[in-house]
Amino acid sequence: MDAMLLTSQLVNGLVLGFLFVLIAVGLSIIFGMLGLVNFAHGAFFALGAYFAWTLRPYVGDVGVLFLAPVCVFAVGVVAERLLLRPLYDKEPLLSLLLTFGLALFIEEAIRTIWGSIGHPYDAPDFLSGFVHYGPVFVTQYRLAVLGITVLLLIGIWLLLEKTRFGRIIRAGSRDGEMVNMLGVNLKRVFTLVFGLGTALAGIAGVLAAPLWSVVPSISEQAIMPAFVVVTIGGLGSLRGAIVSGLLVGISVALAIQFWPAASSAVMYLLMVAILLVRPRGLFGETWERFE
Amino acid sequence: MTNTIHKPKRRGARSRRALLAMTVCGSLLGALTAHAANPIRIGLLLPKSGTYAVQGAQGHQGAMIALQDFGGKINGRPIKIVWYDENGPQTTQQNMHKLIEQDHVVGVTGGISSGDILAVMPIAERSKTPLIATGPNATEITGAKCNHYTFRVDLPNYTTTRTIYPSLAKNGKNWYFISASYAWGIDGYKQMKGLLDAHGGKVVGADETPLGTSDFSSYILKVVSKNPDALFLGIGGSDLTNFLKQFHQMGLTGKIPVSSLVANDTDLWAAGKDAATGVYPKIWNYTGDQNTEKSKQFAKAFEDKYGKPPESEAWQDYFGMSALLTAIKQTGSTDPGKLISFLESHKFEGYKQRPIYFRKWDHQLIQPTLVAEVRKTIPDQYNYFEIDSVQPAAGKPLESIYPNKSESNCHMDSN
Repeated sequence: MDAMLLTSQLVNGLVLGFLFVLIAVGLSIIFGMLGLVNFAHGAFFALGAYFAWTLRPYVGDVGVLFLAPVCVFAVGVVAERLLLRPLYDKEPLLSLLLTFGLALFIEEAIRTIWGSIGHPYDAPDFLSGFVHYGPVFVTQYRLAVLGITVLLLIGIWLLLEKTRFGRIIRAGSRDGEMVNMLGVNLKRVFTLVFGLGTALAGIAGVLAAPLWSVVPSISEQAIMPAFVVVTIGGLGSLRGAIVSGLLVGISVALAIQFWPAASSAVMYLLMVAILLVRPRGLFGETWERFE
Repeated sequence: MTNTIHKPKRRGARSRRALLAMTVCGSLLGALTAHAANPIRIGLLLPKSGTYAVQGAQGHQGAMIALQDFGGKINGRPIKIVWYDENGPQTTQQNMHKLIEQDHVVGVTGGISSGDILAVMPIAERSKTPLIATGPNATEITGAKCNHYTFRVDLPNYTTTRTIYPSLAKNGKNWYFISASYAWGIDGYKQMKGLLDAHGGKVVGADETPLGTSDFSSYILKVVSKNPDALFLGIGGSDLTNFLKQFHQMGLTGKIPVSSLVANDTDLWAAGKDAATGVYPKIWNYTGDQNTEKSKQFAKAFEDKYGKPPESEAWQDYFGMSALLTAIKQTGSTDPGKLISFLESHKFEGYKQRPIYFRKWDHQLIQPTLVAEVRKTIPDQYNYFEIDSVQPAAGKPLESIYPNKSESNCHMDSN
């Protein structure tokens, strides 16, 4: 009986882990490519959920999955062009503070536009059931989140490793000057990468809306796990974000099984333990720019 | 040389004298105009941001309706409500000091979080400022930490658990508990477990969840594995919303009966019609036969002004503000001593079916409570609750659901 429950908790933790990976992956990409710590990631996540809530009556569940992230992408691109671009050659601290301010601004804007009261948001009808197989008990919706996350991760990997655009990004993140000299408009690439990262936050927001309360503070609930996952995995490492997201999900599920009151502390403990052994995180690399 | 040094000095002296004259004139003028329309200031501490921002906004709106009832002034003096943020004990303490020292308020109402109110209660006592705590539920506020200057409108856990126990006990004796891992949730668990034990029930599982938990799926798996007759929650705000949504997605809505220490309408509105379930203790509800004429008028005025019905939080702050304004009006004074003895002895009529009052020895508002059940079919986006009964039953004294003097740790007499 207990072994059954343990198995079901492990599977549940794994599924939860994919949600964490999804929330963290955009943050990881923005840092990996732009060297920018985006404190507003949670705010873009929240925007995804709110755009989805607004657009859903018009375009349906599948429609919002595409349209809401596109809207978040647009906001991200505008924010990058107007606010972040002038700061790239300044101290990193400035852009850090700017994204922090942006996070507060977006959250207040959400409160002003959509109100502080939470909005109901159900899972789509065609995913409202659950799968019960032996000890394993997972809702269809969570399985769908898992599937979409895996597809996105494959897509991102292909984009970064197999396309010309991906090679430019990777090269630009290491030696921007050289890439510029080779005739690539790096500024535009940076804008697109920032937009891509925020759009990923937006997708995570859309997918989390049926699971979590759609309230303005949803952004705070997303930003902390995202940072923890990225830190454990190693800043900027896609592989790291995936491994650590799953690790955090399983740890949280097991903590709830054995010591529930500590369940929110367990990911921080995990982070401390891993940083003590590997200060750059699990898959962190050396970065010339920050040494 | 000496002259040049001397000159600026003289000029300094002259300008200082001019400044003094101006200040004197200014303050005289100020005093004169102030006398004509010197507003009575009342402090309001409610969250403007964070987890409880929703409740804060509703509470503020409720207080504004109370002000509207009094026509915005008492004995010709305008009333001014000064609203500062209640967002963590430290900020709230600073804002309480600001209200008293800068704004010279005659009293303070509000408060959602027990932790914040417990932090400002000593300030109220030291500065002799009446404080009407409208929203916190921790027992200590009118128990061990009670003081002469603090009154509490909301229900202590002792009362909410006794209100709801009989309804939930109908489902069976094996209960599972999920409680927020801080004072309010832990105290609520103890209270309810005590009742369950006394009636021969059994706790089949009890978990504590950190405040701000977003994912309850692992907890729900534990609940399912124990197959309890009833599930009693000690969580509120967006935690309750998250729980209900995920509970629903796992197909459990209606299969395991649910209750909680509190249920804010806004939390259930956010969960949505399909996910909303349970039977809850409630201080007030905007619909139902139990509502008096005054309650109905309040609900209507609120809806007319803000476009949506008031939730219990709005009523609490409406009542808290009304109580303080009534005290100022009836005593014709803002003297804290007079206000407090008025509040200690006055019976507030019309707000509920029976007269309600602050008990003299612990300053707890003694009032009937509601057993409210989520409707089977919810007619519109706000009307979620059906009122099953009013507690205590007619004929029983109101105080029977509140801790009596021997159960309470409040000893105000020694102050």
